[in-house]
Amino acid sequence: MYAIAMSEMRSGKNFGAPGAEPADLLRLIAQNGDKSALSELFLLFGPKIKAVMLKGGASDALAEDLVQETMLTVWRKAALYSTERGAPSTWIFTIARNLRIDQQRRKSNRPHEDLAKVEIASDLPSGSVMVEQNQVISRVSLALQALPAEQQEVVRLSFINDIAHSEIATMLAIPLGTVKSRLRLAYERLRPLLEDLQ
Amino acid sequence: MTISHHPDMSTLMAFSAGTLDEPYAAVIATHLAMSSGGRAIARRLDLIGGALLNEEQDAELTPGALDRLLAATDRTQQPDEARPETDVPLPLAHYLPDGLTGAKWKWSGPGVAICDLPSSADTSRLMLLRVAAGRPVPEHGHGGHELTLILTGAYRDRFGVFGPGDIADHDEDVEHQPIAEMGADCICLVAVDAPLTFKSRLIRTLQPLFGL
Repeated sequence: MYAIAMSEMRSGKNFGAPGAEPADLLRLIAQNGDKSALSELFLLFGPKIKAVMLKGGASDALAEDLVQETMLTVWRKAALYSTERGAPSTWIFTIARNLRIDQQRRKSNRPHEDLAKVEIASDLPSGSVMVEQNQVISRVSLALQALPAEQQEVVRLSFINDIAHSEIATMLAIPLGTVKSRLRLAYERLRPLLEDLQ
Repeated sequence: MTISHHPDMSTLMAFSAGTLDEPYAAVIATHLAMSSGGRAIARRLDLIGGALLNEEQDAELTPGALDRLLAATDRTQQPDEARPETDVPLPLAHYLPDGLTGAKWKWSGPGVAICDLPSSADTSRLMLLRVAAGRPVPEHGHGGHELTLILTGAYRDRFGVFGPGDIADHDEDVEHQPIAEMGADCICLVAVDAPLTFKSRLIRTLQPLFGL
């Protein structure tokens, strides 16, 4: 039954579908502790988070655990999320990233999470949501797809496959400086859009 | 706080992607805690990860994954750990529970002291470096990516004056000789590559003295 629900979800519901906006689901979780909203969000993002974790080198079991931990953190911290702080996928990406780092380190020091606390305490949301949040993400996606292939490649290897710049250099047999300059060029191409979206 | 020296964009992208070794991530997080402008850039970079996650092809979850999640939501939540009260930015506070005043300094040459901070990395090193006012900053095991964040005081080199919150983000090919400004000790948070070396601990201690 669960599998059927999932496949319906995949084929039938798009992110832009009314009533299924991830930002609305987060609001329902924050305000009402709404478990059906959590379920819907899980079906939207769980399979994507798992895919990213697998590409980052996690085993199937570990990827499943990281999906669970990510979504549980989303459930617990939904009240801290604000649409004015960014798109839900961005927020969920940062949670998943931080858990992936924690898992690799097995240590109590968490620079990324501490920084997130500083942001919540010090950075007021801009107060103006200029672009609807899912549009933000699809515009960034389009801009990423428009990058030259060699820039896309290093961006993906870094953000999705979780590979350090020096290892990317070794993999692609290019100097480390070339990896860094491709990333800088990619940012310069994306910059007008990213600045516009904030 | 006005920040005039920023990390390289590729370093910030690695921080956003989550691929930096802990010492480098700790320096960047501490820098960003001191720089609201830097945090705005970091949030922009996170959009890249958000967009890539969003367009990812679904992987199949094991049956029962949703039930497992829903069951876990009923469990009581552990309270957030208390925020340490220190004189350093939060990302650094866990490394220095008693703040800068509680750092255990080791003499490392005339006017120079270091304090190693614990981290999970074995190929890089996180430390505090304290240089007395007017003294040159010693060579500290250079040979790779080096991040230096000024916490207090200031130093000057051919790139200009570096004050609190400023960061020097250098690759191994950069040569520079910073000198601490007069007035106050300069305390920096430093991440360096620390490849295994055959040099003895004694020689490493003497390194700043003799330029070994």
